Amino acid sequence: MFNAERFIDETTARLKEGVSGKALIAFSGGVDSTVCAALVNKAIGKQLIAVHVDTGYMRKNESKNVKKLMEKMNLNYRFIDAKEEFYSALKGVVEPEKKRKIIGEKFIRVFENVAEDEKIEYLVQGTIAPDWIESGGGLRDTIKSHHNVGGLPEKMKLNLVEPLRDIYKDEVRKIARALHLPVSERQPFPGPGLAIRIIGEATPQRTELVREACDIVEKEIEAAVEKGLMEMPWQYFAVLLPIKSVGVQGDKRAYGNVICIRAVQSIDAMTCAYSKIPNEVIDKISIQITNTLKEKINRVVYDVTNKPPGTVEWE
Amino acid sequence: MVKIYVIDNGGQWTHREWRTLRDLDVETKIVPNTISLNDLLRENIDGLVLSGGAPRIGLEGSLGNCGEYLEKADFPILGICAGHHFMGRFFGGIVKPSKTPEFGKVELKILKQNRLFDGVPEISIVWESHNDEVAKLPRVFEILAESESCQIQAMKHRNKPIYGLQFHPEVEHTEFGEKIFNNYVKICGK
Repeated sequence: MFNAERFIDETTARLKEGVSGKALIAFSGGVDSTVCAALVNKAIGKQLIAVHVDTGYMRKNESKNVKKLMEKMNLNYRFIDAKEEFYSALKGVVEPEKKRKIIGEKFIRVFENVAEDEKIEYLVQGTIAPDWIESGGGLRDTIKSHHNVGGLPEKMKLNLVEPLRDIYKDEVRKIARALHLPVSERQPFPGPGLAIRIIGEATPQRTELVREACDIVEKEIEAAVEKGLMEMPWQYFAVLLPIKSVGVQGDKRAYGNVICIRAVQSIDAMTCAYSKIPNEVIDKISIQITNTLKEKINRVVYDVTNKPPGTVEWE
Repeated sequence: MVKIYVIDNGGQWTHREWRTLRDLDVETKIVPNTISLNDLLRENIDGLVLSGGAPRIGLEGSLGNCGEYLEKADFPILGICAGHHFMGRFFGGIVKPSKTPEFGKVELKILKQNRLFDGVPEISIVWESHNDEVAKLPRVFEILAESESCQIQAMKHRNKPIYGLQFHPEVEHTEFGEKIFNNYVKICGK
């Protein structure tokens, strides 16, 4: 069985030996990168610099909370606002693989800039097994290019360090608990962020819509779990679809966007079953979304696909 | 410690097979399907798992050195999905695109009890992901389990400890997956 304490000891020892010099960690504030930062921090201390990039595709208040987390963990950190850069790089881009690759490359270029300024040689990433499995290569088909693997540019100046490469999310959570990290139970959030929850072009305006909808889905589901109405899903969020539909709002014809609710149950994301959300909870989410986003959203649907044949995210 | 290696045929769940074995305290490693049988024998393994792979891999051509293992090895071999397809074809059966491919949740019905299914009820939930299937059983095999859309969900060589599974016992959502793996470990450990 997986032993978190043993993993922590072995990995810290290996990192002490393998990383000589300054390292940079790509810090999103999710479970993987936080655990990774804690391990590397244990091994090389202030030689590690955590870099958080606000891509503009973050969830509501996310970057603000990540800043607090980095302070709480006593990390040596840099906070980079790259919203405009990411928005303009994704202008007019619709194809999901292209989105992921552009975002992957953009991340690396931001990290390389920091690395150059501060003479850093190593790039630490919280890559876990499903990331490189789904990214494909060799015999394996590419399901989607995870920004931190398949999205990496071919030419890169930094040496990659990926201490969590062979483990899965449930095991990362065990390490997080052993290290008493506050993020141990957070739901996964993809590196490309809300950009891949907007089907079609990820404009700043559409980002605002899906950000608000994601926030509503999160709050309502967390409240329902708290009340014991349902079990906590593995992941739960909103997707903005690229279609419009006719509706009626306040006796007037409406022609607005469609939001899809997605919630799945899993332990490692390699297979998933869609969550059986009670009707009363779905009801609340739907009403909350259409009342809050008014003329922008007039229809809400629920995704009832397992993985396979679907994947968790739509892109 | 029982030692079982996983032959990587490029499946999405190859690494899950490795993980399930590791969680059962098996000494395990993922090796490419180009490894020779001699190299495997030198490692003194007790058994092998042939992983699945990208959809059409079991339909035609060779699957690395999988043929050599199936022909000459005397340790148990468990083929999963594309590994199972290749096994079916290698021993003289026919593999074809499925009339009804199965993705995700499926009900498995055990037709013939076997050590591999010890403790698994007659009907259970398994998880699938396949476009092809073994359509005609090799003569030296027997069918152990079926589903509504696929007749050969599990098969066994009549004289050797060689098993083929269409479904995926290595994933979380297969109800008795770990039990099946545990039984296979016992078969390998004798």
